[in-house]
Amino acid sequence: MVDADRLMARVRERDVTAFEAVYDSSHRLVYGIAFKMLGDQAAAEDLAQAVFLKIWTSPEAFGGGNFGAWIARVTRNRALDMLRSRAARPESEIADDVPLAGSLDETVFARLDGERVRSALATLPAEQRTPIELGFFGGLTHDEIARQSDLPLGTVKTRIRAGLKKLRVALEGSPV
Amino acid sequence: MTVHDDTRFDSIAVLALGALPPAESRELLQHIAECERCRKEYDEMRGAVDALALSAELTPSEFGGAQCERLRGRVMDAVRASVATSAVQPAGNVVDLAAKRRAAPAWFNYAAAAAIVLFASFAGWEALTLRSENGANQRQIALLQAQLEAQTREANGARAQLELESSRLADMIAPGAARYAVQNGVVVRSGGRILIALRHLPALPKGRTYQAWTLRRGAKTVTPSITFTPDAGGLALVELPERAGDVAAVAVSVEPEGGSKQPTSKPNFVRSLG
Ligand SMILES: [Zn+2]
Repeated sequence: MVDADRLMARVRERDVTAFEAVYDSSHRLVYGIAFKMLGDQAAAEDLAQAVFLKIWTSPEAFGGGNFGAWIARVTRNRALDMLRSRAARPESEIADDVPLAGSLDETVFARLDGERVRSALATLPAEQRTPIELGFFGGLTHDEIARQSDLPLGTVKTRIRAGLKKLRVALEGSPV
Repeated sequence: MTVHDDTRFDSIAVLALGALPPAESRELLQHIAECERCRKEYDEMRGAVDALALSAELTPSEFGGAQCERLRGRVMDAVRASVATSAVQPAGNVVDLAAKRRAAPAWFNYAAAAAIVLFASFAGWEALTLRSENGANQRQIALLQAQLEAQTREANGARAQLELESSRLADMIAPGAARYAVQNGVVVRSGGRILIALRHLPALPKGRTYQAWTLRRGAKTVTPSITFTPDAGGLALVELPERAGDVAAVAVSVEPEGGSKQPTSKPNFVRSLG
């Protein structure tokens, strides 16, 4: 997202117009993640609303850097909370490290969109793509993925790593 | 410092994906903090995972039209409501109730905004409960069903969610605030004040109003508190004039305009602030 730092600085000053610009540039991502994870239109809308209101009430939570990556992490964490509290899992919190270091180069990230990532993802063999999607969008832990796919834990982990590496290479090489 | 070992790389990928259980995550993050090779690997994986998230982004043709407009309207309404709450300046030394609310301290505005967030996500939980059968994503439904098996009772889930949201609310309002779930909302006790935040309140016919009640400590009968009207969206954020220390319980009922001396209808809720 262009100028996210400047827009978010204005949001911290309670600038509604800046907030609208932030909303307009990221709502399809936020709703899309919520819908993919919750599988339900109404729940996804509620989650998206909660994410944006959180941004409005606590804009200082964004510490600069890649805004798209940040808001995606915030959305996924909230959706996970919802899935996990729904399942009443004992330990609901996956350690969340906030620093955004290591995200894809911002210029690379900026020219990515849903479609481009989807086609890069499609180049992965299903045996790599499936555990990655189950872990990320399904909110399953690696043991749960192993159990569900009837594979040894070590195999699942190796495939996740191989798939993520391949995805990264595919994206960095993706045409502008 | 733990010694580096390449076999950690697979776990690092799983950690970056957000699929490593908490205990292992903490341990591995500790190592990553101390080990440059692992940090580099982790950063690379995080980049891939950030991009992966983008795969869920919808196109304007997938998410647009009426649904998109409705969501935008909801979000912007809530944002404007919070602006309206916080934009009003303190009104000086006037002691009537309306002025008291206008002069509400900063925590009140945060609590009001937080309550809107709270409602939004609590509504999400309900939506998930009630409508998951209709979800479009079959795999997700299967997943939910598997998770449901682990759930003992629905009430547990509701409590867990509320506790979770309440803990967030706590971040935004004064430390030491106590929150009590009630039907359609929450009662917050903070800094000697009592705040009631309710949503989905039906509009009342002409001549009727919502009224709050308090039970003083040691008292046998309730004392009338303020009357209030929810906004057009059914949302009400009310600060009671009573000092929290004197109050053992709070209730809300529907009464004739102007309020009653004693409740004349079955209360919407009665909540002990024990
Ligand atoms: Zn290492």
